[in-house]
Amino acid sequence: MRSWLILLGGLLLWAVHFFLLYGIGEFGGSGPAARLAIGLISIACLAIITILLVRLARQPREDALSGWGAYLGRAGLLLGALGVVWQTLPVLLAQ
Amino acid sequence: MRSETGFDPALYDRFPTKGGRPKGEEEELRRIWCKPKGWEYLTVVNNNYVGIYYLGTAFLFFLMAGVLALLMRAQLAAPMLEILPQGTYNQVFTMHGTVMMFLFAVPAVEAAGVLLLPQMLAARDLPFPRLSAYAFWAYAVGGLCFFASIFVGLAPDGGWFMYPPLTSKAFSPGINTDFWLLGIGFIEISAIAGAIEIIVGVLRTRAPGMSLDKMPIFAWSMLVFAVMIVIAFPSIILGTLLLEIERAFNWPFFDATRGGDPMLWEHLFWFFGHPEVYIIFLPAAGMMSMIVAAVAREELVGYRLIVLAMLATGFISFGVWAHHMFATGMPPMTTGFFSAASMAVSVPAGLQVFSWIATLAIGKRSFNAPGLFVLGSIVIFVTGGLTGVMVAMVPFDWQAHDSYFIVAHLHYVLIGGMVFPLFAAFYYWIPMVSRRALSEPLAKWVFGLMFSGMNIAFLPMHLAGLQGMPRRIYTYLPGQGLELPNLISTIGAFMLAAGVLLFLVDLARNFRLAPGGGNAGNVYDGGTLEWLPSELYSTRSIPVVRSREPLRDDPKLADDVAAGRYFLPGSATGLRETIVTSPLLAEPQYLQIMPGPSAWPFAAAVFTAGFFLALTVQAYMFGWVSGVLAVACVLRWLWETDRPVEQAEVDIGAGIMVPTYVTGPSSHGWWAMVILLVVMAMIFIMALFSLAFLWSNQPGFWTPPPKIGAALPVALLYGTALVAALAARRLLPRGAGGSAGLLLFSVLAAGVALWLDWSSWRASGLVSEASGQGATIYALQALQAFATGTGLLMAAFCAARALRGLVSLPRNNSVDLTMLFLAYTAVQGLVAALFGRAFGMP
Repeated sequence: MRSWLILLGGLLLWAVHFFLLYGIGEFGGSGPAARLAIGLISIACLAIITILLVRLARQPREDALSGWGAYLGRAGLLLGALGVVWQTLPVLLAQ
Repeated sequence: MRSETGFDPALYDRFPTKGGRPKGEEEELRRIWCKPKGWEYLTVVNNNYVGIYYLGTAFLFFLMAGVLALLMRAQLAAPMLEILPQGTYNQVFTMHGTVMMFLFAVPAVEAAGVLLLPQMLAARDLPFPRLSAYAFWAYAVGGLCFFASIFVGLAPDGGWFMYPPLTSKAFSPGINTDFWLLGIGFIEISAIAGAIEIIVGVLRTRAPGMSLDKMPIFAWSMLVFAVMIVIAFPSIILGTLLLEIERAFNWPFFDATRGGDPMLWEHLFWFFGHPEVYIIFLPAAGMMSMIVAAVAREELVGYRLIVLAMLATGFISFGVWAHHMFATGMPPMTTGFFSAASMAVSVPAGLQVFSWIATLAIGKRSFNAPGLFVLGSIVIFVTGGLTGVMVAMVPFDWQAHDSYFIVAHLHYVLIGGMVFPLFAAFYYWIPMVSRRALSEPLAKWVFGLMFSGMNIAFLPMHLAGLQGMPRRIYTYLPGQGLELPNLISTIGAFMLAAGVLLFLVDLARNFRLAPGGGNAGNVYDGGTLEWLPSELYSTRSIPVVRSREPLRDDPKLADDVAAGRYFLPGSATGLRETIVTSPLLAEPQYLQIMPGPSAWPFAAAVFTAGFFLALTVQAYMFGWVSGVLAVACVLRWLWETDRPVEQAEVDIGAGIMVPTYVTGPSSHGWWAMVILLVVMAMIFIMALFSLAFLWSNQPGFWTPPPKIGAALPVALLYGTALVAALAARRLLPRGAGGSAGLLLFSVLAAGVALWLDWSSWRASGLVSEASGQGATIYALQALQAFATGTGLLMAAFCAARALRGLVSLPRNNSVDLTMLFLAYTAVQGLVAALFGRAFGMP
């Protein structure tokens, strides 16, 4: 399970972020409270991604697969971070 | 080097073994995996046959849906033609879309997985061969009956997405819509059965040593594809179920005048519908990646990034469903989220395209048949992708929505992203299953006609769309500037068809099936394991995999494998068997005894199709009898399985011993059940979403639910059911009878809890026909009743096996799986009881 979480961590965080945003947009409206919640969720997701990136960098490489998984995990986390920022932009830019 | 299971990787150094193999070993393999004769072709379960059947049937549906497309193009060749009457045209375009998406595209790629994966992973077969056979026959029988509806004027006519209220009883009173709703039902079952097979197959039956980083990219794509089916298809299963219930019993899920909402259907449909595009695209992209590397004679550039791109596509594609709904007036902020995700999903797709281009650029590419189709695919898919980014932008989408621009876009994406790669795959892999490869000179004509025909047909549609031609119209007026683009499109469509026809000629001339060996071989110099010499039992021995392209890296591998110098050179038990390996590092864990040919999956599939089709034509008695017989056939087929063999441990080669019967989380059955439960949980989650959506959008129709305190006895009973199910597994070492009794008690507790819950809702005055809330609450209860009924069947099955002395001690797979199912049922019931009350509490 840990290996899968390393492999998919960034993308899972993107998914959690997206569906929370969608839930707020669908059921919570688009007022200031909703925007604040979206901002906080995005910051929290980015913080978790940063922590995971640091932990992944410190993790020892036991064999080829774990090195490969760590590379994929890091790339996924970076992609996830990009996705989180990209998904939050519509809220920041909306009038 | 670490181990995942305690297996010592140094044992791999014992292979290839030295010395000869005993006489008769290979003959025994041939006897065990023998060819079918006569009627046995209907009961065969081996992937070499089922895969070919599956692929052939999917291609047949491609041809039939293609003929429908030609009829449409003939009708639209000039204004005011009367080749097809309006009503027939509606049926034809609905069937074209439905058949292409449900009966061709998904089954075709699933079929490719069934055919190729065991060979590519060097497994003897996929882990549930009878499930593969069932999935195929349910699809084939049901699909052909479904298609036949067009010959009697009963084909669905509401578009492939079946939007209510057009498809509600008021506006579609006939049974045409029911044909779609119930007809798609068995295809969903078939797709999910295939997905479970593929996930477990890829993760648990890889050749020893084939860790995830050495897995062929096609296997990665099939893994993501199958997981996406498991997540996406439940949404359409629920949607079709709710719409059929609305039509049959007047429960207003989608009726805005009674607290339903047609937008709910759009959400449920597109949560499946858009990932569906990637469900089709990803396996095709996997094939492309394999073929590109072979035709360029170069290792695929960016293997790791392609794996990441596939995973990312799988995730992000679930965040784009509402871009089909930009014109429905969604809140601007939500629209923004979906617009952003729709643009983002092009990034991983682009990564794959750049990798293919880079591989072709640095390699020694040859413009052979697969190479041409690969190049054509890249050009067409990129064009479709670019227009996709255009329509991801909301203002442009509002202009292009429901116009021929969208028709052009989706055909560029689907033909470039799936049809051309499939043709490349035909040319590339046919030498693996046929005595002769297809003709290279003819292939150039096929490609030329298909590529030019495709562009001539669909490029002008962008223009027609921007000029204002709407989709789904059966004719148009002269003088609007639409005559020329439509005529050109029709000419292109017939050119495309001519290319396909020429391909059929090539097939007739050269395709000679050779499932038992004697195939044309590795014509295009592929480096993966499917090119090892094989027979019906797959490869003679199962190699240790030490690289991503073992055939290129070890020139002696094919000879050593064929000489039986690797794992499982013969049959260790005298039965059909394969090695089950660990999911990450593919370390050998145990020997799976595989079921052989059987008539029961075939019979179960026929009755399953009969059940759905009989309900459609309102032959209810026949339908229910068919349903009962289908269940009986499934139970009969399962009765023969889950039997430990005499030898508890066997030598699978070089003195390496593994068990022959394993239970618990490391068994393949446990994995399959967990995936099935994910499917059920997704259906349930989408039902909860439906309730929340209606509560949010139709608050005026909401009535106060029963008090939350009334749920306490319900919760206690579900808790009891959960504990009883878990205890049944714990108590098994003390005797099968007590364990089976506890399983039955768990069902009883869940049943009483459901009855109490239902009674409290009835007492609150909530009526299913009165409001969307009532309909959804009782739909949740119906789902729970289905789960409880299935649990009862499983518990009774275990009890019957216990009575016959077929439950092994101290552990047994049937008991394990029933325990899992009943535990899930209890949790689902508890959540349903609390969630329903939480919405609309005063």
